[in-house]
Amino acid sequence: MTPLDQLLLLSALTVVVPLFTGNRRITGPLATLLYTGQGLLLLRMAGLGYGSETPVSSAVSLQVLGLELHWRFDALSWFFALITIGAGLLSSWFASGEWAQRYRDSGSSLRLFHAALALNVFTMLVLLASGELLSLFIGWELVSWASFLMMSLGSNTALRYAMRYVTYAFAGAMAVLMGLVLVYTRTGSFEFQAFRDAVPSMDADTVWLLFGLFAAGFGVKMALLPFHLWQAKAYAETPGPGAAFLGAISSRMGLFAMIVVLVQIIGVARLVELPVPFTFLSGRDLLAWVAVFTIIFPTFTALRQHDARRLLAWHGIGQGGYMLLGILIADDLGSAGGLMHVFNHATYQAVLFMSVTAVIHRTGTSDLNKLGGLVARMPLSFLAMLIGIIGLAGLPPMNGFVSKWLVYRALILEGSPLLFLGAVIGTLGTILSVYKLIHNTFLGQLRLEHVDIEEAPSSMLWPMMILSTVVFVTGYFPGLVLDWIASVQAAVGLPVLAHHLGGVHIDKGGLDMIWVVSVLLAGFGVGALVFLSGNRSKRVHQLDNYAGGHFLTADTRYQYSDNFYPGLMHLIGPWYRKSFRWLEGGFVSTVDTVSQLMQGLYRHTHPAFYLLAVVVFALSWVMGGD
Amino acid sequence: MSKLDNIPVRHQPTEAAGRKRTNPLAHVFDELVKFCQSRSMFMLHYCTGCGAIELPPAMTSRFDMERLGIQPMVTPRQADILLITGYVSIKTLKRIILTYEQMQSPKYVIGICSCTVNGGMYWQSYATAKVLKDYLPVDVYIAGCMPRPEAVISGMRELMSDIKSGRAQNWKRYYENYDHYLGNQQKLFGEDWQTPTDIIAEARHYGLMTDRTLGEHTALLEKHQRPLEALEMRLSAREKQKT
Amino acid sequence: MNLSELLIELLLMPLVAFVIGLGMVLMMRKIAARLGRRIGPPLLQPIYDIIKLYGKRTQISHGLIHEIGIIMAVGGYVAAETLLPVPGMNGLADKGGVITLAYVMMIPSLGMALGVGQCANPNGSIGISRALTAMLAYDIPFILVIFGAAYVYGTTNLADIIAIQQQQGVSGWGLMQMPLLALAGMLALPAVMGKQPFEIYIAPAEIATGPMVEMSGKFMGGLFVMQCFQLYTAGVLYTTLFLGGGAYWITFLPKIYAVVAIPMAAAMLFPRYRTEDVIRLMWKWPVLVGLMGLAVAMK
Repeated sequence: MTPLDQLLLLSALTVVVPLFTGNRRITGPLATLLYTGQGLLLLRMAGLGYGSETPVSSAVSLQVLGLELHWRFDALSWFFALITIGAGLLSSWFASGEWAQRYRDSGSSLRLFHAALALNVFTMLVLLASGELLSLFIGWELVSWASFLMMSLGSNTALRYAMRYVTYAFAGAMAVLMGLVLVYTRTGSFEFQAFRDAVPSMDADTVWLLFGLFAAGFGVKMALLPFHLWQAKAYAETPGPGAAFLGAISSRMGLFAMIVVLVQIIGVARLVELPVPFTFLSGRDLLAWVAVFTIIFPTFTALRQHDARRLLAWHGIGQGGYMLLGILIADDLGSAGGLMHVFNHATYQAVLFMSVTAVIHRTGTSDLNKLGGLVARMPLSFLAMLIGIIGLAGLPPMNGFVSKWLVYRALILEGSPLLFLGAVIGTLGTILSVYKLIHNTFLGQLRLEHVDIEEAPSSMLWPMMILSTVVFVTGYFPGLVLDWIASVQAAVGLPVLAHHLGGVHIDKGGLDMIWVVSVLLAGFGVGALVFLSGNRSKRVHQLDNYAGGHFLTADTRYQYSDNFYPGLMHLIGPWYRKSFRWLEGGFVSTVDTVSQLMQGLYRHTHPAFYLLAVVVFALSWVMGGD
Repeated sequence: MSKLDNIPVRHQPTEAAGRKRTNPLAHVFDELVKFCQSRSMFMLHYCTGCGAIELPPAMTSRFDMERLGIQPMVTPRQADILLITGYVSIKTLKRIILTYEQMQSPKYVIGICSCTVNGGMYWQSYATAKVLKDYLPVDVYIAGCMPRPEAVISGMRELMSDIKSGRAQNWKRYYENYDHYLGNQQKLFGEDWQTPTDIIAEARHYGLMTDRTLGEHTALLEKHQRPLEALEMRLSAREKQKT
Repeated sequence: MNLSELLIELLLMPLVAFVIGLGMVLMMRKIAARLGRRIGPPLLQPIYDIIKLYGKRTQISHGLIHEIGIIMAVGGYVAAETLLPVPGMNGLADKGGVITLAYVMMIPSLGMALGVGQCANPNGSIGISRALTAMLAYDIPFILVIFGAAYVYGTTNLADIIAIQQQQGVSGWGLMQMPLLALAGMLALPAVMGKQPFEIYIAPAEIATGPMVEMSGKFMGGLFVMQCFQLYTAGVLYTTLFLGGGAYWITFLPKIYAVVAIPMAAAMLFPRYRTEDVIRLMWKWPVLVGLMGLAVAMK
C-alpha cells in the first residue's frame, strides 16, 4: 500500500466514522483527529512539495470496459491536497465544540454535517489524485455532488442556490464530457500523456472547441463569469464551518482541473496561438479577460451586500479571478502568484468565515446593519478578522499581498496595462468592502443587546488563531509557500520561480518581504514611541462622543452602517440597476426554471444513483464514440 | 451687578496637586510646551448670539488670526479655546457645558460680548443664564456690544500671554471645584442633570482631585447617574458572573 | 553597503521626511493664506501645533483600537519612507519597489480608518467612507501612471528609475519621455494628497472634519505627523517617477516642493467636489490622459 492509498483509505474512513458516532459530542473531535491523521499521511509525501520525488501512485487501478482508471499524486495534487486537508481539519475543529452543541440543539444533524465535510475532503482527494481524464471526470462529478450535499444542509436559500448549482454543474459536466469524448475520438485514450502528444497535431478549431468546453465546464465550479450566480448565496448559507471549508477550497477544484487540462496538457503557449476572430485577442487573452471581469464584478457586488457571509462569498468568487489570471500569464512570476493565491486565499477566507461564524454564534446575526462595536467583547475574533481582511485586501504584511504582488509584477513585465488596471480595481474595491465588513461588525457603537456577550469559545478561537498565524507567517516568509509553488510549477511544466525565503529577487525590482515586514513592524514601533510621548490617555464611554452638542443616550443608534458608500453607489448603482440587474435577472430566471425542472426530476432520486447513471452514460457514450 | 461676585476678576492660580518635576530639563520642556500652547490655539466658536459676526473678519484677510497661530476647529475634541459669543439661553448652556467638558485640557473659555459677563441686554430675560462664570471657569471676557475684531484679537493676545506665563490655569478650577460648578448647574437644570463626560473620573485619572471636587452636589449626581465607564475589552462576561 | 550604514539610513529617512514634510505643511498653509490675501502662519507653526497637541494634559481614547489605529497611521508612513530613495540614501528601495510602496502607503489609511471606526462616531465613519471612495477614485489614474513608469523604465526599483533618468540628463526625465503620463499624475496628485478641492471627506461644517472628529491631543498630533509624511511621499514619488529624482539635495528639494506647490496653488482656487464628482472627475480626465500616455509610451 502506497502512502496515497493509506491517505485515501483514511479519508474514506473519516466519512464513515461520523455515520456511526452520529450526533454524539465525540464526532467532532474524532473527525478532527482523523483529519490530523490524513495530514500526517500527506506529510509522508512531503517530498512532492519540495520537488524531490516522482509522483506517488496508488496501488489501486480499475479496469472499466477496457479502460484503465488509475490514481496518483504529483506536486500539484499534493499542494491542493495540503490546503484541502488543512481546511478540513480546521473547519472540523471549529465545528467540534460549542458550535456543534448549538447546531445539534437547533435540530440539525451533526452526523450529516461531519459526513458531508469528510465526503467533500475525500472526493476532493480523489479528484486531485486522478491519473487520467476519466478518473478526473469521475472525481469531478463526485466533488460536485459532495459540495451539493454540503450546501443543501443550509437554509432554504442555500438549497435553492445549490439546486441552481446542480443545473450549472450538470451543464458543466456535459461540456467536460463532450471534451472527453472529443479527446478520446482523437487519441483513443484517456491518458494525459496521449492527449498531450496529440495536441500539437490538432487543428485550431479542435483546440478552440476543447478549450471552450473545458474552460466552461471547469469554470462553473470556479464560478467564473458568467457562471458565477450560484456560488455566493449557496456558500453563504451553508452552516458556518462548512462555509469556511467551501469558501477556502471547494471552488478551487475548478482551477485545479483547469490547470491540469489547459496548462499541463494543452499548454498556455498553444492558447496564445488561438486567435479570437475579428479581434487582436488570443484564446488566452479571452480567458484572462474573463478572469479580470470575474475579479471586478463580483467584488463590486460584494460591496453592495449587507450580510457578512454573502459579502465574503462574493469576494471568494472575485479572488478566484486573480488565481486564473496569474496562471494564464504563465511566466514564472505570474503563475507562482496565481498558485500561491490559492493557498493564501484558503487561509484568509477560512479565517474570515470563521470569524463571522463566531459573531453569528454569539449574536445570532450576520446582518451588517444589526451589529457593531463588538471589538470590546470579542477582541480575538476581531484580531482574526483584521488579519483576514488585510490578507483579502492584499495589503502588506499579510500573505495576500505577496501573491497579488507576483501577479502585478508579472503583468508589468508582460506589459498588459488593462489587465493590470482591472486587477487593481478589484483590489481597491476589496479594500472598500472589507473595511465595511470590519467596521460594521466590530467597530462603531456597541448595541445595547450585545453588551453582555462573550468572546467566542476556545474551540472556535484556536482554529482562527492558527490560521491567522499562518496568514501572517506566510506573508512574512513567503518562501515557505513558494517552495511548494516551485515544485508545482516544475510538475505542471511552467517556468520555475527562483525565490528565497523573503520573496523573489529580480534585477529589475524584486520583493523581500522579510525586510518590508520588518521595517513595517519597526515603523509601528516608532509610531508607538511617538504615541507614548504624549500624556497617558483616558478611556471614555462610547456615548461621550461629539454629536453637535446633542446628549446621546444608549437607546439612540449612533452608528453609520447602511449604504456605507453612498457616493460610489450613486455613481455605479445605476449600472447595476440597469444593465447588470437586467442581465442577471434574465439569466437567473432562465436558470431558475431549469432548476425547478431538475428539482422535480431528481427530488426522489438519490444523488449517488444519479452519479452512477451519469458515469454509465458517459462510458456508453464514450464507447459509442469509439 | 450689585454683588461684587458678579464682577469678573482674574483668578490667581493655586498651585494644584499636579505632577512634581524633579528633572531640571523638565522645566525647559514645560516652558516649551507652554510656549507652543500659546502659539497654537485651536478655537471652537460656539456662536450663540450676535457676536459671532465679528469672528469672520478676525479670521480672514483683514485681521488674519492665523498669523498668531489661531485656527478655527469644529469639534470640541480638537479645540483649545471655547468662544462663547453672545447671550446664553438655558437650553444653550446645557450644550455649552457638554461641549466644554468634551474639550481636552488645558482648555480655555473666552466670553465675548457683554451678555456673557452679566446678561447684557437680556438681563431681564427669564430664559438666559446671566453670568457665565458661575457654570464654567472663564479665562477671558471680551466685553462690548459687540466687540470689534481688534478687541477680539486683543483678548486673544491677552490669553496668549496668560498661557505663556502660566497664569491661565482656570481649567483646573473646574476639576478642583467641580462640586461648586455642578451645584450651580443643578440649580438651573434640575437635579437629574448629567453630562456624558465623567468629570470626577477624569479628575481622578489625571490627579486633579481636591477636597472641593466632591460634595453634596456630586453625591446627588451619583444617585441617579447612568454609568459612564468605558467599555473594557474583555474575553469573558465578568459582569454577568458577578451578578 | 554594510548593515550599520543601512540601519542609520533607515532611521534617517523618516526623520528627514518628517522635517521636509513640516515645511510642506507650512508651505501649503502659506499658499492658502496668500491666495486669500492673508499673511498666514509663522515659520514654525506646524511644530507649535504638533508639540501643543502632544502636550495636552487630558487625552481621551475610545479604546485600544483607537490608539493602535493612530500608531499604524504614523508607523505605516515611517516604514513607507524607507522604501522611497532620496539623494544619498536608497534605503530599502531594492527590497520593495514602487508597487510595494503603493500598497504600504495604504497601511496608514487602514490604520486611521480602524481608529476612527472604534470612535463610534458616525461623522468619522462617513468621513472614512468618503475617503475610501476617493481612494478608489484617484488610485486608478495613480496606478496607471505607476504602471506606465514601471513599464517604460523596465523596472519597479525606484533607485534604478532614478539612475536611468539621471544618465540622460533632463531629456531623460519621465516628464520628457512620457509627458502625458506625467500630466495624468499631476492631475491626480491633489486627490492623492487629500487637499482642496478633494477634501469632502473632511468637510468641517458638514461632518465635523470626518475622520478627525473624535481625535484629540496626541491622536490629532499623530494625524498631523501623518499629514507631513503624506505630502512628502506624494512629492517625492512624483519627483522620482517623472522629474529625475535628485542627485543632490540642492536640486532635489526645489523639485519636491514644487511638485506639492503647483497642484496646491491651482487646487485651492476650486470649490469642493462631491464624492461622486471626485470619482467622475478622476475616472474621466486623468484616466483618459493616462491611457493615452500609456498608448504612446508602450508603442
